[in-house]
Amino acid sequence: MALKFPVYPPSRYGGESEPVKRPKEFACFSYDKDHMFRLDDSSLKWYYPPDIGVDLSRGSDTFIKHDDSIDEHLDSLLKTIKAHEQQTGEPIDAHVVTWRGMLTKIMATPFDDEAFEMNATLYRDCIFIEEHHGFKEQKRQMENSRKGQRFPSSLMQYWGYKFETLSTLPRPWGETTREYIEGRDEEVVNNKEQYCSVVRTGFGKSIVCLGGEVDAIWDAKPGTPGDPINWVELKTSAEIRNHTDQFKFDRKLMRYWIQSFLLGVPKIIVGFRTQDGILSKVEELKTMSIPHEVQRRGLVKWDGNVCIKFTSLFLDWIRLNINDEGVWRIRRRQKSDHIELFKVEEV
Amino acid sequence: MGIPAAFRWLSTKYPKIISPVVEEKPLVLEDGSVVPVDATQPNPNGEEFDNLYLDMNGIVHPCSHPEDKPAPRDEEEMMIEVFKYTERVFNMVRPRKLLMIAVDGVAPRAKMNQQRSRRFRAAQDAKEKEEDKQQLLKMLRKENGSKDKEEPIEVVVKKAFDSNSITPGTPFMDILAASLRYWCAYKLNTDPAWAKIKVIISDATVPGEGEHKIMEFVRSQRNSPEHDPNTRHVIYGLDADLIMLGLATHEPHFRVLREDVFFQQGKARMCKLCGQTGHDERNCKGEAKEKNGDFDEKGKVEPLKPFIWLHVSILREYLAIELNVPNLPFRWDLERAIDDWVFMCFFVGNDFLPHLPALEIRENGIETLMAIWKDNLPVMGGYVTKDGHVDLERAQYILSGLAKQEDSIFRRRKEAEDRREASFKRRKLNQQGNGRGGGNQDSPLSGRGRKGAPEANGPPAGMNLFPVASIPKPVITHDTVVNRRAVEQANVANKSAASVLKSQIQGLMSQAQEKQDGDEPNEEGEATKTPPSALGKRKAELIEEDAASTTDATSDSKTPAAASSEDGPTDTVRLWEEGYADRYYEQKFKVDPKDIAFRHKVARAYVEGLAWVLMYYFQGCPSWEWFYPYHYAPFAADFVDLGKMTIKFEKGRISRPFEQLMSVLPAASRHAIPEVFHDLMIKEDSPILDFYPEEFEIDLNGKKMSWQGIALLPFIEMPRLLAAMETKVHLLSPEDQARNVPGHDVLLISDAHPGLYEDITTHFYSKKQGVPKFKLDPKRSSGLAGTVEKIEGYVPHGSLVYPLERNTMPDVDYDRSLSVYYIMPSSSHTHKSMLLRGLKMPTPALDRSDVDFVRSKGRNAGR
Ligand SMILES: [Mg+2]
Repeated sequence: MALKFPVYPPSRYGGESEPVKRPKEFACFSYDKDHMFRLDDSSLKWYYPPDIGVDLSRGSDTFIKHDDSIDEHLDSLLKTIKAHEQQTGEPIDAHVVTWRGMLTKIMATPFDDEAFEMNATLYRDCIFIEEHHGFKEQKRQMENSRKGQRFPSSLMQYWGYKFETLSTLPRPWGETTREYIEGRDEEVVNNKEQYCSVVRTGFGKSIVCLGGEVDAIWDAKPGTPGDPINWVELKTSAEIRNHTDQFKFDRKLMRYWIQSFLLGVPKIIVGFRTQDGILSKVEELKTMSIPHEVQRRGLVKWDGNVCIKFTSLFLDWIRLNINDEGVWRIRRRQKSDHIELFKVEEV
Repeated sequence: MGIPAAFRWLSTKYPKIISPVVEEKPLVLEDGSVVPVDATQPNPNGEEFDNLYLDMNGIVHPCSHPEDKPAPRDEEEMMIEVFKYTERVFNMVRPRKLLMIAVDGVAPRAKMNQQRSRRFRAAQDAKEKEEDKQQLLKMLRKENGSKDKEEPIEVVVKKAFDSNSITPGTPFMDILAASLRYWCAYKLNTDPAWAKIKVIISDATVPGEGEHKIMEFVRSQRNSPEHDPNTRHVIYGLDADLIMLGLATHEPHFRVLREDVFFQQGKARMCKLCGQTGHDERNCKGEAKEKNGDFDEKGKVEPLKPFIWLHVSILREYLAIELNVPNLPFRWDLERAIDDWVFMCFFVGNDFLPHLPALEIRENGIETLMAIWKDNLPVMGGYVTKDGHVDLERAQYILSGLAKQEDSIFRRRKEAEDRREASFKRRKLNQQGNGRGGGNQDSPLSGRGRKGAPEANGPPAGMNLFPVASIPKPVITHDTVVNRRAVEQANVANKSAASVLKSQIQGLMSQAQEKQDGDEPNEEGEATKTPPSALGKRKAELIEEDAASTTDATSDSKTPAAASSEDGPTDTVRLWEEGYADRYYEQKFKVDPKDIAFRHKVARAYVEGLAWVLMYYFQGCPSWEWFYPYHYAPFAADFVDLGKMTIKFEKGRISRPFEQLMSVLPAASRHAIPEVFHDLMIKEDSPILDFYPEEFEIDLNGKKMSWQGIALLPFIEMPRLLAAMETKVHLLSPEDQARNVPGHDVLLISDAHPGLYEDITTHFYSKKQGVPKFKLDPKRSSGLAGTVEKIEGYVPHGSLVYPLERNTMPDVDYDRSLSVYYIMPSSSHTHKSMLLRGLKMPTPALDRSDVDFVRSKGRNAGR
């Protein structure tokens, strides 16, 4: 028997906003060029703007792509948390532990039709949530076979990684040679390498521990742990030529905003590309001002406060209902007006 | 940059780079009390600035021998002047984050040769000036006829301050350093506008030229990931090349601040004997100065000279238009193009190399090079320079391009000279008919489209040009001295104080009987600038050389090559006639005209020099020992096969202060050097006596004025100098020895600085103090990166003691400031001429018409 958490109307999540805590990084880890786990910040990248006019498709044939058909579960996140607990000698105090991507899906729900499925389990008074891998694979297969697109979606994905390679440096600018900076178009794109930040954040009464990849840093990590970090999120998007483009972009902005909001990323840098994948413009967005900007343009209706309140109440709800160590499924069907919660496996 | 005239050239060609500084002045109330400027208030220039850098020698020099008021009585008064001036500059800029004060420390060897030449000339001038003064004194006494006035005059006319003392290692520089430290701490304690700023003092004990220490600092901060690319920098200094250094940082929010040296207002008369205002030497009673107010401020009726901004960002805009080459086979990069432009400016002049004979800034030398560069850029396959390194193969393109034009440049120069001379003679005749000519206030802010422009390609307009040969003989009669008005005008007459006096004396001594026939000779140069007093100061040079051919008017200059007033200098090289290169090498270098290999050797040394200068500007000193070992430059045609050259520099040894003093000072200034070394400069048996000639030749080298010539001083041979000094070093007193070691930059902050003060006190002065060194957290220091080190023996919160004798300024019982040594972040990573991420470009200042102006002028320029 599934429990249901209502999504609509979003207005029921309006009004008084929920208290949120600023996310603070307390640990991090890296995947190296071979996607090997490392308990350090060795894969951290620094932002430095790319040259305009570059063809984002260039080098797609040598793309070193991470095979994400293998379910990695919460492995790296748990390893990092465990190391942290050993180091401090105390267990972390989170009520929920998950990847940033899961919470993004939940947070977007009030203004989004996307379907998702997740697995959740309770352990030591903490709910661990991960993606239902099988469902994700299935969904992707369907999307890939979708027709009518000018470029295969794998190439369009490559554009995003290429933009990251073009826009980042493995060391701060001052320590990087001109040759590297100017030769970034020649670099082999490799998405196996990642830096992940592990943060503690809060939604209403729930303390949440999130892990997520951050693309780059603006300056340097602060000397005092827990101080805000000037992370940079890198995105690519089609040029905005008209109202329709703007509408599409503003809708996309909600996801940009949620993702960055969750890890405390203050700046999003968007590489705009032509229809043919030529980088034509780079723009800096302040995460904090996105909801207001979108509201001001008035093309798309989404409300950040509603997203927050929705998430906050949703977290309360699953914490109330997930009460044993079995495996639970969190599911939303496409366009559904509710999120379901049911047990898929007994203890 | 030793591109004298560069400032004028820039401001004429790119007029919008200059704008006036809006300056708030202290308010004088009716009761005479003064309300000081409140620099915590918003900057009246409509924009706030973060960092102010002072190239301090540009303040110390004018304060030690001001041109518009009496010289300070002693060193203490001089320091008070320095404080006042610095405060004025501070209040104009109102830096919100950082103030860096950089005094010249020991310089690279390449620079010492120029310093040596300046100081030897200064000593020579000072000697002449002193002789003149004595003569005039004698004369006046005779004239006054009263014996009792003799004494006081002697007392008041004291020996002038030797500006050669402004060299690292002298006791004077010690006093300066202590005074600056006191004053900054005092300001941190007492002025709320200073409360949150960081002060870095790099005194003369820290090696390097002031402006280059500043550049090193900017580069070091730029490499820090926490540096804010929108930091607003202001550098104060007199050298025109500060704007080049500003460009070289690739920080577009950069301004140069300087006095408007072209601003001239009715100068108050100043007595040349006692240096007081209110009377001239004719009426000098030789009375001691009466003090007006505490700091004599009421005696200063002079309006303060206004200041101007030079906007690097606007120059960048101009250069973006000027240098643009469309359809390149490689990526257009303004930053790289700017570097190439700066590099080409070095060809026209710098402090380290004589300029190429074919390139004169007044003959549009820079345009010539720019045109060659633009023509060649597509075929060169890239830029000539990269982050301070020269691509020699590409440099060859530029020099070959210049070589093609060299002969015709020399011919055109001669033609223009001949025309000027002819026209001068014509004008002279006319003027004799018409009486006096008009005055001309010549400020770059007001004076575009100046009057009386001579031919194109000639010196800047508004200048009166007198080839030596045609100088009108000063008509001096007894009246000239007796008549006060004439004496005043003599000041205006485009002559140095020394030469004014000299000509008066000459007039008197010879009892010249020529009558004034309504044609006062002094009218001639009324418009021109402060003349070359040849005190060796930069400022004088700046103005001087800008004033192009202002004449020295000294009809019997002691410098032999300056030739006689009748014949003019005979230029035996005659660059405009075939065979000039043979004559040049034979006469200047004393080598066989057939020795072509020698010419190539000179050219290679010169290229090394260009590479050295470029590195020096962009990366910091590549070698402390390298120097160009000739007095003259080669011809463009002598540069061959540069692409086959490899250039490498050894960092070398940095001179100790006393070695530098012994390298640059003449024997006459030995009072600034510890006594143990004096014998080496004056005694017959000194093994290095030949380094200190009292008389030396000045080669006009085709120029007209002695100050434009080249002082043919022997080059110091370091091994010999060091060996000679080695025999004396053990005799140095401990105090002197202490002055001979390199020092540190000092960082001063007040306890009101949030974060940083706490960090320093916890690290150095709390119970849990650790190592005496730690890396600053730029997030706590509002952006400053680097390492600080505890000053041994220094205890914070003591009392701040005024270091000079007369207690002109107070002690502070409880010093709320804090001093630590400061070490810039290591620059192991080299400077890159790139813009930083996050930079917001200043709003463009040029409009359509400016763009068209530059384009239309650029089209034919230099071709
Ligand atoms: Mg200097």
